[in-house]
Amino acid sequence: MGRSRLLLGAALLGSLGFAASAGHDWATPAAVFRSLAGDDSLQSQLLITWRYPRILAAALVGALLGLGGAIFQGVFRNPLAEPYLLGSSGGAAVGATIALLVPMGLPSQWLLAGLSFLGAWGATWLVLLVGGWRRGADAAHLLLAGVAIAAMLGAVRSFMMLALSDDTMNLQAVLSWTLGGIQTPGWWGVLLLGGLTALALAAVMTLAHGLDLLGLGDEQAHAFGLQPERFVRWAVLVASAVVAVAVAWGGLVAFVGLIAPHVARWRCGPRHRRLLPESAAIGAILVVLCDGLARSVLPPAEIPLGLITAVFGGPFFLFVLARRRRP
Amino acid sequence: MTQVCVNSLRVAVPGKTLLDDLNLEFSPGQLVGLIGPNGAGKTTLIKTLAGFRPAGTGAVTWNGRDIRQWTARERAAVCGYLPQHYVFAWDYNVRDLIELGAARVAANEHSIADAVRAHELEALVERRWSTLSGGERARCLLASVMVAAPALLLVDEPGASLDIRHRIDLLARLRATAAKATVIVVMHDLELAARYCDRLVLLANGRIAQDAPSAEVIAPGALDATFGVRFQRVAIRPGFDAMLGIPPS
Repeated sequence: MGRSRLLLGAALLGSLGFAASAGHDWATPAAVFRSLAGDDSLQSQLLITWRYPRILAAALVGALLGLGGAIFQGVFRNPLAEPYLLGSSGGAAVGATIALLVPMGLPSQWLLAGLSFLGAWGATWLVLLVGGWRRGADAAHLLLAGVAIAAMLGAVRSFMMLALSDDTMNLQAVLSWTLGGIQTPGWWGVLLLGGLTALALAAVMTLAHGLDLLGLGDEQAHAFGLQPERFVRWAVLVASAVVAVAVAWGGLVAFVGLIAPHVARWRCGPRHRRLLPESAAIGAILVVLCDGLARSVLPPAEIPLGLITAVFGGPFFLFVLARRRRP
Repeated sequence: MTQVCVNSLRVAVPGKTLLDDLNLEFSPGQLVGLIGPNGAGKTTLIKTLAGFRPAGTGAVTWNGRDIRQWTARERAAVCGYLPQHYVFAWDYNVRDLIELGAARVAANEHSIADAVRAHELEALVERRWSTLSGGERARCLLASVMVAAPALLLVDEPGASLDIRHRIDLLARLRATAAKATVIVVMHDLELAARYCDRLVLLANGRIAQDAPSAEVIAPGALDATFGVRFQRVAIRPGFDAMLGIPPS
């Protein structure tokens, strides 16, 4: 177990190192070390002001996506559940689109976060209700409801972009959200995101035992002291907040919430006390690596992060689907 | 020790009464079997006794307190429940399942080790659920329930998927548990019910058709009308009869 965590830590450090080097202008490992050691050359200043905050933001967004995915899979009791596929991210994006396109006279950052949360929360409940959660619907039914609602929310978002946008800048901002991409925050922004991620991790860890029990089925969970309906309500609220923060900083990034919990489950088994932090770490590694690729594959252009995660995530989803069909 | 009382219990769904005016009392020290044909209300009764299903009218009390007043956590500390069907979302290992059962009473590592030993699971603790046989699964589930030493144990059709040797093994374990707890078991196998249960409650159409010591309930002719077959006792050896159900010609 100790060795396995060491390996994960090394992978995280390695991904951060790669991302620190990667970009329009590649930085050598020596340049990275120099910048960290307090060198004040132009390259070091650019790395510290622009690249490092972005890399840390990518790691935090990835951690949130990993956590969100793990909660979704736990609540839906299905390894194919993921915030992006189930419309939760789509709901958050609709909220964000409203915040970006409709002037409301409120500070834009709070509006963005608040409406993203409401969108994620509303969309997740819609999926649960339409999918017949209270009537004990099976997971496949819920997933199909999620896919349909995600598609509808995508249409709503596109319609709003067409109907409400009269400002090219805003439309550009919404478009870049849709395709996913880590914003480059200042160090204060990273600090805020780090604080929110730490809060999210603390809140999510309180769900660990309940998610374990939920995996036994409603009846056995109840017999072991859980009130499944009440627990699911709380878990969906927490998951929506986690997804909203991830979407507010990283836009619509698909499949990280699917891959991270999966890999974590292969590594440490299904108990959520270990699965949740592992999933966060693996999500961080994935997004840091993909964001590094996004910045460096086609310089000077930047490929949207969501496209890169989809390139890896789509085949992974099919692989998981094929494995589940095997007797 | 938990005394379970059912007072004027009625449970209904739109268009059908599942349980009608039941009055029962269960005390520790006896293995009580709930028997009856399909649709008689056995599973509804055991789920209502466990608090999973709300009582329509009437009440179920544990030690004189209405179970609606117990929180899920309080209920879990007192009552163990073994379901008829179980499908887990994740491939837990044996230790995971016993630990999850133990968490409802904050049982320590020592109790977990005792439960593993008592149910002969020492060699299986790290094995995943998907790799266990039916008999191993039954022992694992029973250990996860018994690790909290529940004063009340409710079991819905144990061993529905087990072969006869494992069914007998499970019933012997339940019978041993009944010495210090209230144990109520839904049974389909009438012969095993008669052999292992001290008392049988026969349900038919949601009502109590008979509630008596096992020997009385399975007396010749007593079950024929309820099940719609003729039961015949066949002496195998002294003190050991088998029950044959013969369909009407």
